[in-house]
Amino acid sequence: MRPPVTRPGRPRALAVLGVGALLLLYACWVVGGDLPHLLRLHAATTGAFVAAVAVGELVRLPMPSGREAAPLASASVMGLAVIGLIEGEPPFDVSAAVVVLIVAAGTAVAAVVRRLRGLGVGAGQAAARLLGAGVAAGLARGPAVDGRTLWDVAIDQSVPREVVGLGMVFVATVGVVVETVLTAGVRAERQRSPWPTALRDELGEVAPLTYAVVASGPLVALMAPVFGLASLPAALFPLAITYVAVARYARNRATYRQTIATLSELTERGGYTPPAHAGRVADLSVRIGRVLGMQDDSLREVEYAALLHDLGQISLSEPLPDGATVLAAPHDQHEIAMEGGRIIRAAEALETVAGYVEAQTTRYRQVLELGEPVALASRIIKVANAFDDLTGGRHDPGSVEAAMERIHLGLGYEYDPAVVGALEVATADAPVSRLAEREPAAR
Amino acid sequence: MSVEPTDGPPAAPGPSASPGPSQPSDLATGAYIALVAALGLGLTTYAITTRGLVIDGTLVVLAFVAVLTWWSGPPVDSQFSITFDSIISLAAMALVGPAGAGVVGIISGPLERGPLSMRARVFNLGMTSTYSVLGGYAYIWAGGRTDSTDLRGAEEIIRYVGVPILVADLVQVAVNLVLLVGVIRLSSGEGSMRVRAWQLLRSTGPSYVGYGIVAFLLVVLWEPAALGPASVVLVLAPLLVARWAYAQFAEEAKAHAQALDVLVAAVEAKAPHLVGHSARVAELSGWMGEHLGLRPHTVADTRVAGLLHDLGQTTLPTALVRGTGLGTGSALDTYPARGVEALRGISFLSGSLDAVGRHREALHRPAPGDGPDPALVLGAADEFDLLTAVGTPDGALLAADEAVARLRTAPGMREDVVRALEHALVRRRTTVTP
Repeated sequence: MRPPVTRPGRPRALAVLGVGALLLLYACWVVGGDLPHLLRLHAATTGAFVAAVAVGELVRLPMPSGREAAPLASASVMGLAVIGLIEGEPPFDVSAAVVVLIVAAGTAVAAVVRRLRGLGVGAGQAAARLLGAGVAAGLARGPAVDGRTLWDVAIDQSVPREVVGLGMVFVATVGVVVETVLTAGVRAERQRSPWPTALRDELGEVAPLTYAVVASGPLVALMAPVFGLASLPAALFPLAITYVAVARYARNRATYRQTIATLSELTERGGYTPPAHAGRVADLSVRIGRVLGMQDDSLREVEYAALLHDLGQISLSEPLPDGATVLAAPHDQHEIAMEGGRIIRAAEALETVAGYVEAQTTRYRQVLELGEPVALASRIIKVANAFDDLTGGRHDPGSVEAAMERIHLGLGYEYDPAVVGALEVATADAPVSRLAEREPAAR
Repeated sequence: MSVEPTDGPPAAPGPSASPGPSQPSDLATGAYIALVAALGLGLTTYAITTRGLVIDGTLVVLAFVAVLTWWSGPPVDSQFSITFDSIISLAAMALVGPAGAGVVGIISGPLERGPLSMRARVFNLGMTSTYSVLGGYAYIWAGGRTDSTDLRGAEEIIRYVGVPILVADLVQVAVNLVLLVGVIRLSSGEGSMRVRAWQLLRSTGPSYVGYGIVAFLLVVLWEPAALGPASVVLVLAPLLVARWAYAQFAEEAKAHAQALDVLVAAVEAKAPHLVGHSARVAELSGWMGEHLGLRPHTVADTRVAGLLHDLGQTTLPTALVRGTGLGTGSALDTYPARGVEALRGISFLSGSLDAVGRHREALHRPAPGDGPDPALVLGAADEFDLLTAVGTPDGALLAADEAVARLRTAPGMREDVVRALEHALVRRRTTVTP
């Protein structure tokens, strides 16, 4: 039951990459022959910012959800976009194109190092950063009001610094928002989730970090007239503290997930459920949830509930055949789910997850006819579990087709048609999307 | 880094710095607090009379920001936190001098959101103003300028602002430490001063270096870079975010701790006769570890090992697990190794794995090492609880002294571990668990 037409690759990612490349070409063309002269004049400044962007890119921050942010690179970029007077150096009086080239150089250095280390380069994110830098630098150094750009105003010492600071924060905010929106667009396409959901997640998660970045970039530029290039490391120090704090938060989230995964594997180790079944169901549930437009927070609970959906089998006296609950009698399924929920309730924080596990066996008919409220999460897990029990984790078209047929027999009676529809989208190119998106919702 | 673990009480004014309400040495503590408050007020008065106090915009804004920091609240549940008081105090030393810093300290010290006794607030007032004035003098002594408006260049600024702030920072930490250790000693009356001071310094020292750097940035931006009060917004914004992240971290860490209880619940679902066993063994193991003088980190690892030592049983057939109370069946003997296998995926439990894996074996074979072995501690606690609370397959339970006597005869047993067990049993009797 695959969709008849396979969707074209990833037009949005291509568009962002294309515009980024165009911007780079345009910048090269504008700067052209001036480059050697500019490089000589601003050797120290250029070197410092290329290094800052490269280092910031290399120490990417894994966010609690698993996506990565590079706040130190973003802040350096925004500092560069607005910087003017630098103590001990000539004023950085250059066009936005030069800013773009410096950012591109720093990003390229980081990309080479990442490639050498065998890490992903993230071309989409790099292009998004370049476009954000272009917009910010263009705003600061481009349009002139009364013959003066924001940059001109900033180096005029008679203008109160508070006003200058406000202008710089504005420019940095616009630049960072552009970068974020583009990144979200590319990500949404890859995860097959609606763009608004991806944008909400992206903004929701990085919002606090964004405040820190839009404050730190201007901080560099405001300190530079008296503190020189040393402002770059100095002004980024508070942001580095933030970095450490968020990294700790993210690490804790990761070990939390490890604990849940350990719980989910207990039944596998005891031979009650087939190996890797819970992990596959969780993976598939998250992908279905994404297609249905669920947000990160809910997806995490879906993932945890899916990982733990068979926990109740732990106290069975005899294992079920193949551990497949889809083939068990409805009463037994229900008992297992209730036992799982009871165990999970030992943690108050997992109350919602326990509820999802308990309701996973409820038939969709009971939702329709009796108005029984069953959470979307439970309906997703029911479908994902059935799919995995029926395919046994195999991806070949024969198994998938057979499983889909079987699930379609129960459409509307056993399973929620909307969820089954999302299952079809999510499994349309399952192996491909699994490679492209190594991180499930919550790591 | 501005990271402040609170395994010791925070060195910045916080609720754990507050003396308990009904301690034996109440009177002495009260006198000490009055003395500290008098010292702070006296030093501030002295600074004002000798150096004068200019009440200008800078002072007002600093005082205002200091007042605002109450809003950020105490770092109660979080293991890590960031406090702004110290940053504002250091910046005040460099911007408005010792007298102004003292005034800011008097205003900010007693303010703290949440329930805090009057005495704690008075103590914090005295401590904050004392370290602010003394730090302010240290700043000037180290060549610091209280008017740094016309400084230019990194070298000049570091010399006349950066290094002096660092010196003031050290003085602040030292004064803070001495006063705080004094009040903790008097109010709780236990522990050696030196150990206390060292714990506090180790846990909060690095944060204070971070606070010094942030205060330095604040001063540079405020005066030489001429941004004025607006610099507070730009410098502190990232730190607010860091605080937010730590708060999130604390919340999830709590959830994570609860998730361990689910592992225990899984054991108890599998083996109903073990209900409560894991928690009791965890408590005993932790107390025994403390009595044996294991490092705090090892004690925590041992306690967690106690909590999860039976997890391997969940991967065995239910009939086998339920059929036997004490570990006698040969298949059941594999449960420690199975537990280790299951827990290997959780990175923060790596310190507990060894004890989980060897807790049965340690009872039967003397360990080669010299120090107390966490696996033996756990093994003893486990065996004691099995003998006295869970019971043998025929349902017989031993009395505590019988069980201890039998444990003494185990080939791997050490006398200090048995004594630690006896000590822990006394502690259990005297501790009222709600």
